[in-house]
Amino acid sequence: MNGFKSEIDRRSFMYGLGASLGSVALTGMMGSEVTASGTRATEDIAKQAHHPAKAKSVIMLFMEGAPSHIETFDPKPKLNELHLKNFVSENERFSGMTRGNRFYVGSPYKFRKVGNSGLEMCEHFTHMAEAEVADELCVYRGCKAESVNHPAALFHMNTGSRFGGDPAIGAWVNYGLGSVNENLPGYVVMTELAAPQGGSGNWSSGFLPSKYQATRLRSSGSPILDLNPPKWKTRDHQRMNLDLLSEINLESVKNHPQHRELESRMDNYELAFRMQMEVPDLVDLSRESEQTLDMYGLNQESTAEFGRKCLMARRLVEKGVRFVQIFSGGWDSHDFIERAHKKRIQSVDQPIAALIKDLKSRGMLEDTLIVWTGEFGRTPDNTIRGGQTAIGRDHNAQAMNMFFAGGGVKKGTVVGATDEIGGEAVEVVHPIRDVHCTMLDLLGLDDNKLTYFHGGRYKQLSQFGGEVIKEIIA
Amino acid sequence: MLLAFSLLVVVTSGQEPTDAQEGLDREKHFTLVVLPIMQRRCFACHGKNPDELKGELDVSSIEGILKGGESGSPGIERGNSGHSLIMEAIRWDGLEMPPKENDRLTQAEIDAVGKWIDEGAVWPDLEKQNLILKKNAEGGNFSGKVMVTSGGLSKAWDNRRYNPAEVWAFEPIVKPDVPDGKLAYSSEIDSFVNSKIANANLEPTEIAAPAVLLRRAYYDLLGLPPSIEETDAFVSAYSKDPNGAWSELIDKLLASPHYGERWGQHWLDVVRYADTSGFSNDFERSNAWRYRDYVIRAFNEDLPYDQFIVQQIAGDELAKDKNSSSNSAPKVTLSEGLVSTGFLRMGPWEHTAMTPEKVSRQIYLDDLTNAVGETFLSTPLKCCKCHDHKFDPIPTRDYYRIYAAFATTQPAEMKSEFLDKESRNGFEEQKAHVQRLLAHATEKMNSLYAKREKAAKEWYKERGRESDYAPFDQRRKPTFLGEKPRRFIGLSIAEEGELKVREQDVRLWTRRMERFQPLAQSIYNGGDYLHSSLKLREPQNKYQLSKVKPIGKTQILDGGSVYAPSIEVTPGVLSAIGLNSGASSTSEDPFKLTDAVDGRRLGLARWIADSKNSLAVRSIVNRVWSLHFGKGIAGNPNNLGASGKAPTHPLLLDYLASEFIANGSSIKWLHKKIMKSNVYQRASSHPQFSKVENADPNNQLLTYFNPRRLTAEELRDTMLVLSGEINLAVGGLSIRPEMNLEVALSPRMIQFSLAPGYQPDSTPSQRNRRSVYIQRIRGLSDPLMEVFDKPNSSESCEMRDSASVTPQVFTLLNSDVVTKRSIAMALRLQGEDKSVERQIERGYLRSLGRVPSAAMVQKLAAHYKKMVDYHRKHPPERESFPTEITRRVVEEFSGDPFEYQERLDIYEDYSPDKQASDVEVETRALADVCLLFLNSNEFMFVY
Repeated sequence: MNGFKSEIDRRSFMYGLGASLGSVALTGMMGSEVTASGTRATEDIAKQAHHPAKAKSVIMLFMEGAPSHIETFDPKPKLNELHLKNFVSENERFSGMTRGNRFYVGSPYKFRKVGNSGLEMCEHFTHMAEAEVADELCVYRGCKAESVNHPAALFHMNTGSRFGGDPAIGAWVNYGLGSVNENLPGYVVMTELAAPQGGSGNWSSGFLPSKYQATRLRSSGSPILDLNPPKWKTRDHQRMNLDLLSEINLESVKNHPQHRELESRMDNYELAFRMQMEVPDLVDLSRESEQTLDMYGLNQESTAEFGRKCLMARRLVEKGVRFVQIFSGGWDSHDFIERAHKKRIQSVDQPIAALIKDLKSRGMLEDTLIVWTGEFGRTPDNTIRGGQTAIGRDHNAQAMNMFFAGGGVKKGTVVGATDEIGGEAVEVVHPIRDVHCTMLDLLGLDDNKLTYFHGGRYKQLSQFGGEVIKEIIA
Repeated sequence: MLLAFSLLVVVTSGQEPTDAQEGLDREKHFTLVVLPIMQRRCFACHGKNPDELKGELDVSSIEGILKGGESGSPGIERGNSGHSLIMEAIRWDGLEMPPKENDRLTQAEIDAVGKWIDEGAVWPDLEKQNLILKKNAEGGNFSGKVMVTSGGLSKAWDNRRYNPAEVWAFEPIVKPDVPDGKLAYSSEIDSFVNSKIANANLEPTEIAAPAVLLRRAYYDLLGLPPSIEETDAFVSAYSKDPNGAWSELIDKLLASPHYGERWGQHWLDVVRYADTSGFSNDFERSNAWRYRDYVIRAFNEDLPYDQFIVQQIAGDELAKDKNSSSNSAPKVTLSEGLVSTGFLRMGPWEHTAMTPEKVSRQIYLDDLTNAVGETFLSTPLKCCKCHDHKFDPIPTRDYYRIYAAFATTQPAEMKSEFLDKESRNGFEEQKAHVQRLLAHATEKMNSLYAKREKAAKEWYKERGRESDYAPFDQRRKPTFLGEKPRRFIGLSIAEEGELKVREQDVRLWTRRMERFQPLAQSIYNGGDYLHSSLKLREPQNKYQLSKVKPIGKTQILDGGSVYAPSIEVTPGVLSAIGLNSGASSTSEDPFKLTDAVDGRRLGLARWIADSKNSLAVRSIVNRVWSLHFGKGIAGNPNNLGASGKAPTHPLLLDYLASEFIANGSSIKWLHKKIMKSNVYQRASSHPQFSKVENADPNNQLLTYFNPRRLTAEELRDTMLVLSGEINLAVGGLSIRPEMNLEVALSPRMIQFSLAPGYQPDSTPSQRNRRSVYIQRIRGLSDPLMEVFDKPNSSESCEMRDSASVTPQVFTLLNSDVVTKRSIAMALRLQGEDKSVERQIERGYLRSLGRVPSAAMVQKLAAHYKKMVDYHRKHPPERESFPTEITRRVVEEFSGDPFEYQERLDIYEDYSPDKQASDVEVETRALADVCLLFLNSNEFMFVY
């Protein structure tokens, strides 16, 4: 291998000549985009926000399957009084899921007030209950979703539309703000091993240019698909091939001098080559201290998986990634909620607390917006299944809870409320689109101006416009 | 623009305006211009409704405006727009109102409001306003076009004036005269295009070189590259007789069975073809391939476009229609008709217990209504689901009339005998594969059942109630009384989870057996009968029939809400074109369709297919044009309305549209007409490029030909052609090529379970067929196809994206799939010639379409030698395929992960492609060179 060394240097130099033709573009990871007519689109590095931003980046913690608000941050003692009594409701808007023989379900968990702010949390949040974490949170209880069908609701929360395929919020944010790090994607998603229902429709760029779609950092195998060549092709080998490719391509540039797309296409090869170096470094956690790994729970089985994602999220944001979304699955507890939700809460409690503490100690929390949410909430009652009463909850679009932290949101606060059984949001009630508008607002973006002309009209994340939830903003 | 026209207040000429006249003009200006602007742009937040009032400002009366909002200052100062707060707001100067980009006032609108304020802000009372409106509707002194429709939800909408340039597509098609200079050109197309170029003081570029033309024509019509031999033959024929050779080439390509595969793909993009249903279960639509093959056949047979329309919307009704003698179209059988109406089953859709039945039904009908508008009329209709169309003359009433035309249409898998022309190759083998996996899942499920039932019996025995035991299905019913064992008795938590997985697998594989039954993804007419989309069948037995809902009237749904039905409508067609609905038309309601159970769709389809349906004819002509040139005459092939791009050559479009009808609505005729023009044959560069670029930066005038990138399918098919691996068999069951193994096996959530892993077909010849045949799974995109912009099949795709993005580099340079093609390519070249130089030369010529320079061949040969040395030192590992994988899922009952084994039966008997470890170092070195070709610019673009 060493025998090739001097040869490589010479080639790199030659490539330098080639590359100057196309001026290696300082665009996002997806490379500079070229329009169909071959003219270069405007660069999009760190574009101007619409108004001063409170947050620069977002970490969205998505609890897929829909966590129960009644078992997390919205205690309903009334339900304990009604426990197992018949629940009666007939409403033509209810799906098959919420009809039939039903009964009230009291929460199996105890709640207590935590921190100096006195936020209410269920007993299984122990790390997040620490004052330095709890007092950072803004719990929001007023959101109403629309669909109780998992994929439709996931699409709605992620893209503003229930039908999938529209640009995800992370794509909109990158479209609006541009990227900071030329060698990394601006929008990164880390799912459970299994993609959530609806799959990549949850993080696609939709009708926005494809460079805004999320890059899925894979939890096993290659972090980015086909990032590296087969093992028997070394980096030096790759370099030699790329150099020769650039010579072939330079001929084509000579043959088609008016076809501008060719130059940016060549730039993409160099960008790709740099990414092959940068990305493995990024996912390599070996340089993190043992104390950090411990704090995120990487050393115990129950928290290791989500902890790793939280730690990765911090590293990505640190490197300038705008929008990081991580998924935790398994929250769909129709039955045996006591056991199931406890396990899920425990798997995320310590990692999230660590993320908040870590960001805080690095001075990053104030410009990083953390959002914790599911796709909808759960019902105060359950149905009789298999002829038996099981303690769990069905899907509920009328009530849910989520929390925000960092990036310009109120600290240690509860905003909004649900009714006394947690069936429906009744105070500071807003649809999902208003949550989206609020997130954009914190990033310095105005949903009404963050538009893209497609299919004959200016489209926007909220679809038809929404409101900022002022109560959430500090 | 729209306002610019309606703003012209024409004062009767020759008369000094009197005070009274002036006053009337001001009142007219307010009533007809300013008030509609405010109604549209302001009233939603600043109207009469005190609950909705924003900023405490009410602008629905002059009093409210003068009072002002929370700032305390009046909204306007009469006679002085410069001192009026409202002007600042609508100019987005300090204040920004309305706050949305979409609602922002145009300059003409802002000027109109300013004029109103400057002239004293008159506000006539309601009676006066109505008088002015009435006069105006009778043809008052205002310009702009009135469009007559079946009626909007408000008078103001009905009285709207349209800029003729924005409703062009709704007007009848009149064949225009060909511009002067016709004789100088070989085609009328050139006359239209060149006259515009001359007007811009530019010149078109020269005709492209023959080899370039050949490659362009091959990709355009077949989506495949020409062979070296075909190139030689064409270049030689062209040198003798350019026109003859070109004409012959077009005929040859149009006659190829691969033409339909390429053009069928375009249509499949528009209709969102997929083999699965999407959403939470992503169930296989096992027979969707029959519709795909129908589309391919229709193109190959050059089925007249009007018949193509009718067969897709109402093939079943057409087959049953006794009066089809009035229509000269040849009969179709019911089986054929059920296959072609597969169009009505292309949208992503499912019904599960999670969604109220009414809502699922509405989602289906909304999708059909919009799809028919978008596909055949290039007029997306979903804009008018909740309100009359904001820009186009389409009232909400028309939306629900088309919705009503589908109100008796029910999605189902229908019995439809296989046709002789349908390929049933591979049925036995695939059936065996599905049966294996079904048997495997069933066996696993049954052993868990057995364990559970054993424990249940035990449970009863312990309680001395042995005789109370009943099998699970009886026991679980609420009517089965008495204390009973718990639901999953005898099973561990992991086994509970596994049972749900196996049960779902049994459902999936059972459903997949439908691939081999004579069924079509189709529709029938009847009342609503919704059930889980696991199995959609026409109700047969008494019980099922008792569940069918009676056919009701269709009502406009206020705000698009299924819970807010209002005005009743009958089935009907779009009214703004002014084309009546044919047989069911009446003098009171010329746009009415039958409201019988049957025949609604046939009436609608025949109306769309009418040669006088200007939207439909322009739509298809523009689509064909856009695919030849990379952009349409009208730039949004799915939207010819005011919000789509305006046509660059409207007269040319109408000329081609009239000729298209005169030539039997033949798509092949249209290809030929276009391709024989000089415009199509132009080179992709221009001798005066900087001049052209300044004058016409987007090449709208078509002075040169726009190069384009290969589509995802063209890329994959071309690699297979170059490597010699392609199997050009036509039609039949969908194929499954190798896919990146990480993606293929990565778990994918579906309801209750994980979807089975993706397994490729077991032999190379099955796998390596053309890409149009690849099974399209909505929830799982092949990364190779996705990164090269294959559309996502949830939204209709009018044109493919083609940006160059970095992940494409990873795919082309590093992926297993492309690496294997480079190896096969190298093996083929080595088999053809012993000399390395010759191998390199042929590979280059095949991939880039031109002969390399001697210097380049030498460079590549030197590289090859170096690579031989390299590969000696770096032997590849052998890749193996798993026959089983361990799945890990979080069990929802416990929150604990559990594991189970999934069988991958295909890999138990698998013929892999040649991989690096199978071949010599020389082949690997040559494959490196081939990989460079596959990554090169000229390979990737069509010039």
